[in-house]
Amino acid sequence: MTQYRVLPGPEHFLPPAAASMGIYLPNPGEAHINGVIVPEEKAYEEAARQFLMAQVPTIFPGPLVLWAWNEKAAKKAAAVRSLYETLKECVQPGQKPMLIPMPDYRPKYPKINPEVEINPNHPNLTIWHNKIDCCMFIGVHCHQANLSLKIIRGGTSCYTVAMCAQAGHEDAMLSFRDASVEKILKLGEWIRKLKGTVKPRLTSAKTSASN
Amino acid sequence: MAEIKSHIGTQNKKGQTYTDPWKMMHEAPRNPSFYTGSEVIKEALRRASCDVMIAYPITPQSEAAALIGELFAEGYIGDYFRGESEFAVMSQCAGAAFGGARVFTTTAGPGTMRAMENFPMWAGARLPIQMIVTCRGINSPLSIQPDTIEISYLLNTGMLVWHAETAQDFFDWILKGFMVSEEPEVHLPLALCCDGFFVTHTKDVVNLTPTDMCLPPYDPYRSPVPCMDMECPPVRMMRDPFIMKSNYISYATHASWQQEIWAAVERSRKHTIKWINGLIDTENTDAEVVIVASGTAVSQGREAIRLLEDEGVRCGLIKVKSLRPWPGEEIREATKNAKHIFVPEFNVTGWLAKEIKATIPNSERVHAGPHVCGGMTMPPEIIVSEIKTALGLRSESLAGRGS
Amino acid sequence: MSKERIKISPDLYDIMPSDYQDLVQSATYGKEDRGWKDIGTSKELIEQHSLCAGCPESMAFRYILASLPNPEDTVMVGSTGCTSLVFPMVAVHNIHSLFGNQNAIASGLKRALSVRFPDRVKDVVVLAGDGATVDIGLDMTLQAWFRQEKFTTICFDNELYANTGGQESGLMQKGFVAKMAPVGKLFDKVRLPEIARESGCHYVVNCTVSKPSLVEKVIRNSVLIAREIGPTYIQLYTPCILEIGKNSMEGLQEMRDSEKPTERFAYKEYVSEPAKQFLAELAAKDKERKAAAKQLAGKA
Repeated sequence: MTQYRVLPGPEHFLPPAAASMGIYLPNPGEAHINGVIVPEEKAYEEAARQFLMAQVPTIFPGPLVLWAWNEKAAKKAAAVRSLYETLKECVQPGQKPMLIPMPDYRPKYPKINPEVEINPNHPNLTIWHNKIDCCMFIGVHCHQANLSLKIIRGGTSCYTVAMCAQAGHEDAMLSFRDASVEKILKLGEWIRKLKGTVKPRLTSAKTSASN
Repeated sequence: MAEIKSHIGTQNKKGQTYTDPWKMMHEAPRNPSFYTGSEVIKEALRRASCDVMIAYPITPQSEAAALIGELFAEGYIGDYFRGESEFAVMSQCAGAAFGGARVFTTTAGPGTMRAMENFPMWAGARLPIQMIVTCRGINSPLSIQPDTIEISYLLNTGMLVWHAETAQDFFDWILKGFMVSEEPEVHLPLALCCDGFFVTHTKDVVNLTPTDMCLPPYDPYRSPVPCMDMECPPVRMMRDPFIMKSNYISYATHASWQQEIWAAVERSRKHTIKWINGLIDTENTDAEVVIVASGTAVSQGREAIRLLEDEGVRCGLIKVKSLRPWPGEEIREATKNAKHIFVPEFNVTGWLAKEIKATIPNSERVHAGPHVCGGMTMPPEIIVSEIKTALGLRSESLAGRGS
Repeated sequence: MSKERIKISPDLYDIMPSDYQDLVQSATYGKEDRGWKDIGTSKELIEQHSLCAGCPESMAFRYILASLPNPEDTVMVGSTGCTSLVFPMVAVHNIHSLFGNQNAIASGLKRALSVRFPDRVKDVVVLAGDGATVDIGLDMTLQAWFRQEKFTTICFDNELYANTGGQESGLMQKGFVAKMAPVGKLFDKVRLPEIARESGCHYVVNCTVSKPSLVEKVIRNSVLIAREIGPTYIQLYTPCILEIGKNSMEGLQEMRDSEKPTERFAYKEYVSEPAKQFLAELAAKDKERKAAAKQLAGKA
C-alpha cells in the first residue's frame, strides 16, 4: 500500500505520475480523493465543498463537450453550463466562479490568452493569471487531462477535480469516473445542498507559483 | 464519451456473435485442437474482430502472417496487405490505428530491430496495436534460429510486453491482449512475444473458443487521444504536436508526456492481472531453490525440476508472463524464501536475470543462467547441472554434442 | 451538409475563443466551390503559424487548405520539418509520427478509414518536405504508389533541409553549395515527377505556388483523382528564402523566375488515361451544373 497522496502543489520540479507512485484508479461506483478510493457519494460532497471553499472555482470544459459532435456531447455541455450557473448562485460575495474552455491541445504561438482559454502544454499560465484555486476538468481527452493535471500539481497550489467519462484520473486530487449528464447535475445538487455551510477561504488563497 | 454502441449479442458479416469477452474467454466451451503455433495465431485472429492486419515475410513468423491473409480472403479481417519492410509496416499499422482501427501485425528478430523507431512512437501516440514477436537471432552472422535477445530492446519502448510459453498462452493472450491494451486508461501497444520455432512451428493441443464467437469491435471514441477521422470532434487536432520552444515549460510538457506513457503501463497492471490471472505463475516457492524464467525456458525449467526431484532436490518455479508491466512486487514476494535463484535464458546477455537482480533484495542469490543462444536448445539437464554445481552437488559435465 | 457536423455545443458557444466561433460561422467547410478566392472573405483553415516572414510555404499552405474539395472529411499526414510547425494550426485532423514515414502512415490511415466508413468519402492528403518525400521516405513514397494507394502526396520542394539549417537534399540542384555539400552538390536534382509517373501515379504536377488559381486547380484535381482512381503526386516549389539568401519580399519573384519555360519548375503535368476520362466527366458534370444554375437564376 503506497504512502503517496495526491495533494495540491507546488509539488516538485518534475512531479511524478501518481500511477507510478502506486495510486490506483477507482472501479465503477467509486471515486478517489487524494489517491484514496472512496464511494462516489463521498466524492460529490468533497468536490462540492472544495468548489464552495475556493476563491476562484473554475470549470475547464474540453473539446469532447465543447463541440456538439454527437447528441450526448451537447447534452453534457448543457449540464456543464447548468453546473456553472449553480456555482454562481451558491457562492458568496468575493468568490468568482469561472468557466474557461480548453478548446484544443496544440502548442499555440506566440502564446495563449489566459483570460479566455487553458492549454494542456502550459495550464499553469491560466491558473496563475486568474488565481484559480480549484478547478474541474471535463470533456478533455484523458491523455491531455493527465498532462495538465500533473503540470498543475507541479507548479501551482490549485485543487484539481476530474469529471472523467472513462476510468478517472489519479493525477487529479479528486476524480470521478464514467461521467454522465446525471453525474454532472448531481454535483450541482451537492453544491446547492452545501450552500452556506462552507466557509470560503477568501483571504488565504495561495495561487502563485513557488518556482 | 462517445455514443458507445453495445454490439454484444449481434452478429458480424461472417455470422459470428459479438460476445462478452470475459464470458467468451472464461465460460464458453473449449474445443481441443491439434495445431502449430502459427495456426493458433490465425485461429485467435479469426475471433478478434480485427480491422487491419499488415504483413511482411520474415522467418519464423511468415507462416502466421500468410495464414492471416487467408482469413482476410475469407472475410474475417477488414483489410490486409503486405508492406515493403518492417519499418514501413509498423508505420502503416500506426496509420491504421490513428484512424481508429483495431490493428494486428507480426514480426521477428531483424524485423523488430528495423522497425524499432516506431515502437516508442506507437507508445507515445497511445496506439493499442498488437504485435506478435516470434523471437530469433538478430546479430551477424545471420541466424533464423530461436533467441530472445530482441525482447530486451522492447522493454523500454513504453509498450506492454508479454512472453508466452505455449501455444495455448498465445491463443488466449492474443484475445485478452486486445482487452488490456484497449482500456482507455492503458491504450498502449502490446508486444506479445514467443520463442520462434519452439512455439510457432511445433504442434500442440490447444483449447479453442467456439468459432462462432468473437470479440466486440474496438471503440476508438474511448481513446485517451483524439482518433484521426474528422469526427471526434472534427476540428483543429494534431496527433501529436510537439513544442519547439526552449524553455522550462515546453520540456515539462514533453517530460509529463513520457511519464504519462509509463503511468499507463502501470495502469495496465490491474487489467493484466485480471485477464491473464496474475503477472507470474508460481509453483513451490517455499523451496530454497527457485527457477525464474519466461517463454519456453519455463518449460525447460519445469522439466529440470522433475529431474531434480528424482535426485531429492526440491525446486520452485516462477513463470514470468508479463515483462511490462514488470511484476516486481510479485517476484520479491515469491523469492523471499529462496536462497538460490536460477534464471535460464535463451539469449547471451541474460536480460531477465538483470531485471530480477534490480528487483529483489540480496541479489547475489541470482545465478544468471544457464544461457544458450544462437538457436541452441536448452536441455533440462544443463539447468540441473547448473543448479547442482551451485549447490556444491556432484554433477556430470555436459559436453557440447554434435554429429 | 457536412458542415453540420462542425458545430460548437450551443450551451458553451459564448466561451469559445473567437477563432473557433469564426471557424464555425464563416469557414468554407462543406462549400462546393471552395477555392483560393475565399481567402480574405472567409475564415481560413489555418491559424497563426511560426514560419519565417514571407516564407512561400505559408502561401502554399493557405492555397492548399482553401482548395481541398472536402476538408470536413479530410485527414492530412505530415512529416518532420518546417511543415510540422504549421500543422498544429491547421483545422483538419492531421498526423505527425516520424520523419519520412508519411506515405506509410497514410496507407494505413486510408485503409482504416475505408474499413470504418465504407459508405462515406474520407480523403487522405500527405504533405511533407523534400527530405521526407525523396530522401529518407523515398521507399515508402514509391511503394504507396506501386500499391495504388488512393491518396494524394504533396511535396513542398525547397531543395534542401530547411528546418535543420540548410543541408543538401536529393531535390537540391546540382552544384549548389550547402551544408553537407561543401564543394557543391555532385549529382542532379532527383527527377521524382518522372519517377512518380512510372510508379503508377495518375496525376503528376510539378510547379510553383506563384499562381493561387493554378494551385487550386491542381490540388482539387489531385484529391479527386486520388479518391476515385489512384495515387497522385504534386511537387510544389516553396523556396526557403532564408537559406538561398533572399529577403522576405522576394519569395514570389524567386518562384516566378523558376517557372520560366526552360527552368526547373516550368509547369509540367502528367495525366493517366483513366484520370483524363475522369476529369472530362467531371468537367461535363460541372458544365451541366452551371447551366442548370444559370437557368434557375434566369427563372428567378
